Amino acid sequence: MRLLSTRRARTAVVAIAVGSLALTACGGDSDSQTKDDSKTQDDAKEQSEAVAYGDAEASKGPAAPVEGSREGGTIRVYQQTDFSHLDPGQIYVSDAGLLSVLIHRGLTTFVEDDEGGLTVVGDIATDSGTPSEGGKVWTFTLKDGIKDEDGDPIDSGDVRHTVERLYAKHITDGPTYLQQWLSGEGTKYREALPEGPYNGDHLPDDVLETPDDKTVVFKFDTPRPDLPQALAMAGYSIVPEEKDTKEKYDQKPTAIGPYKIDEVNSGKNMKLVRNDEWSAETDPKRHAFVDGWDITFNHDRVDQSKRLAADRGDAKNGIQFSGAVDTSQIKSIVSNEETNARTIKGYAPYVWQLNMNMDRIKDKKIRDAITYALPNADILRPDGGSYGGEPAGGLLAPTVPGYEKGYDPYGKIENPQGDIEKAKELLKEAGAEGQSLVYGYANVPHRQEQAIIIEKALEKAGFEVEKKEIDQATYYERVGKVDNGLDIYMTGWGQDWPSISTVIPPLYDGDQLADGSAVYSHINDDKVNSEIDRILKITDPEEATTEWQKLHRYIVEEINPAAPLYFTKQLQIHGSNVGGARYSSEKSYIDVSRLFLKS
Amino acid sequence: MLRFLIRRLSSAFVILILISAFTFLIFFAAPRDPAVLACGKNCTEAAKDIIRDNLGLNDPIAQQYWEFMRGIVMGRDFSVGRCDAPCLGVSFNTDLMVWDTIVDRLPLTLSLSLGGLVIFLTLGLGAGLMAAAKKGTVTDKTLSSMSLVFSSMQIYFLGPIVLGALVFSSGIMESPRYVPITEDPLGWFTGLLIPWFVMALIFTAQYTRMSRSSMIEQLQEEHVRTARAKGMSRPYVFFRYAWRGSLIPIVTILGMDLGALLGGAIVTEMTFSLAGIGRLAVDAVTNIDLPLTMGVMLIGATFILMCNVVVDAAYAYIDPRVRLG
Repeated sequence: MRLLSTRRARTAVVAIAVGSLALTACGGDSDSQTKDDSKTQDDAKEQSEAVAYGDAEASKGPAAPVEGSREGGTIRVYQQTDFSHLDPGQIYVSDAGLLSVLIHRGLTTFVEDDEGGLTVVGDIATDSGTPSEGGKVWTFTLKDGIKDEDGDPIDSGDVRHTVERLYAKHITDGPTYLQQWLSGEGTKYREALPEGPYNGDHLPDDVLETPDDKTVVFKFDTPRPDLPQALAMAGYSIVPEEKDTKEKYDQKPTAIGPYKIDEVNSGKNMKLVRNDEWSAETDPKRHAFVDGWDITFNHDRVDQSKRLAADRGDAKNGIQFSGAVDTSQIKSIVSNEETNARTIKGYAPYVWQLNMNMDRIKDKKIRDAITYALPNADILRPDGGSYGGEPAGGLLAPTVPGYEKGYDPYGKIENPQGDIEKAKELLKEAGAEGQSLVYGYANVPHRQEQAIIIEKALEKAGFEVEKKEIDQATYYERVGKVDNGLDIYMTGWGQDWPSISTVIPPLYDGDQLADGSAVYSHINDDKVNSEIDRILKITDPEEATTEWQKLHRYIVEEINPAAPLYFTKQLQIHGSNVGGARYSSEKSYIDVSRLFLKS
Repeated sequence: MLRFLIRRLSSAFVILILISAFTFLIFFAAPRDPAVLACGKNCTEAAKDIIRDNLGLNDPIAQQYWEFMRGIVMGRDFSVGRCDAPCLGVSFNTDLMVWDTIVDRLPLTLSLSLGGLVIFLTLGLGAGLMAAAKKGTVTDKTLSSMSLVFSSMQIYFLGPIVLGALVFSSGIMESPRYVPITEDPLGWFTGLLIPWFVMALIFTAQYTRMSRSSMIEQLQEEHVRTARAKGMSRPYVFFRYAWRGSLIPIVTILGMDLGALLGGAIVTEMTFSLAGIGRLAVDAVTNIDLPLTMGVMLIGATFILMCNVVVDAAYAYIDPRVRLG
């Protein structure tokens, strides 16, 4: 899961409040008069191709050359908020995930070709892993010459420690896939190692085995074909055993990647310098062209966009990290040839959908009526218009392998203004004209604008809408409760790695339905639940993808638990002296692993 | 004087205790759970309970409050290390000592507030005096009109305009930034010039209006007219009698403004991407960070209370009729 970070979203609210006048002055359909060269469905093709598994050759360094690259200089990063975490075990959201590319390394990682195609390869491992026993056992061998920033070698004991510390109580914010696959669902896995490895306890060899300094063996009770991709998450990056300071590690982690932290002033700035112990020969993904990174916080999107568009002084060497061009400035930036040439664009992994609480809206005809009534294009407008996303026909993003271009059973792409007549007809058939709907939405400006659009459309179709504003800070907590008192509410979701297995099971597996789960629509369909269990065990990625596609169609067409609203897109800008800039399909932001300064 | 100080500081201390208790209770009364922000995926009740336990939120509220207040005097031990007195706890969000964070952010807020204050007070009082002295003339009308326009503006409106004109479009100046005055005095000055300028435009206008009206009122007082009738020179009467009397309402407002600015110039810091106490206050609230909220709240309240004590003491020097005791 990658929920849109509520922390970042909240800070954005403040930023938007501060810049509200500017937004008002320049707002409206920011791109309606601009030649639209945002990413299209054809561009999505590369982003949604199946991930390849790389062999030992593909896992060797150095990374593919970057045309025109040179060494030296410091890149300036303008970032809105401080990184949520530095301890890899706590990293889930994308800002810290992007930083981890520079300072952390894991067993595996993704490398990307010029078209955005992804291959999972060995990072500190010699390859992407060797499965046996039908995918229940995975063996990794560590490369030679991997050292931390102090020059101490990384061995299998460090990998074991990295995994086992994830069971400790102070690790609460990172991914839990691996722990749950090894030791049990929910928080049950913590019982296997309540104190982590800190008092000398370890996972048994029939779960995690390190027979020698170079070999790591994971043993599961069911096939885990996605393990190499899961291990590429920033949350599974290596923490050297001797350097682990438990809670304090979040303030000063030990680097294994090409850069190390030289200075951190929480909430103000961070400086990275070269990690001299990192060897490009071992790294198939990262370059280290620049000498360092100077990251300053407290630059909201408006400030980031203005500084970088103006391209003066330090900003010539500047980039946005996990920020995007502010919606109020999209038009001026993309309509100017010079600034547009300094933008990067691509599909982000998030799909926004309007969940329909199936405990309260039991009749599919009513859910269909809601779906037909929604004007997806209008709903998208407050979130950036065509440069911020595009109307969605299904519930899978263009970034996920298995995405079907043009899939549009409710005509949301073909008719993004909605079909009120069809909605009225369905509502009449259901005998539910005048049905009241409680709509919950977050109290931030763009959601408030969207609420008005949704309310008007649904009322035109014959519903009575009662709007309920929810504090953004607790929005997902509120809608994540089984008894949430709401009929309809929006949520955004993105894949953790390029596989439908990180989208459909968490969102639509009724067996997971509980307070705090992501089954926001409360769908609980026997066929869906059993199909999820079956497909998760398929080891052939292509076969699995085909089966996921069928299940996706069944969910959308036969159940319709959530109306597809829009896919999101990314638009960032960088300074004129920054070279090697491209969009990263994996991270959905600028690819920081290959940037250089032109002079 | 000593009795006055003891009495006022004692009452300030009681107010601080009440504010801390009130803030603590409000935090727990609000339907927001800090555990949610550190809970990652599929945030189940069991997962949240582990986090609440880590944060000490499962203890009774009275016990948490007692430990917080005791920490201010005695210091406390946390899993991230010893927090020496005055310990304001450890931030839920960053795991850093709140006191250290506040001390780290304070120089910027002090620089921003005091630097701005020197400018707007000098210009505001000067313009107000000039307008009062030339009441009814073109100078008075011009200054009054300008102050009316600028006092009706807000920093979040004027700030982006000034940044656009001086930084992004023309490149005449660099974006605002803070460097300690001890490291680079020139960089400190130039880095804060734009925020000072914008703050000064708005505050100067307010102080011009206040200073002008207060001065005009004073010039009509009987003791001022008597002084003139006794043959004292106009400048002497103007500054010795009228100006001194006109300062009382200005000092009152200044004390409140300065306290508020030192407690965190939230809008100014947000507008100019600066990280001071104001930004910290926003972070504390948005991140549901109890220790940081308490810390920022207490620091802000302390500044406001101290400024009020200073203002009250200043009355005695400005107005001979006032006696402290």
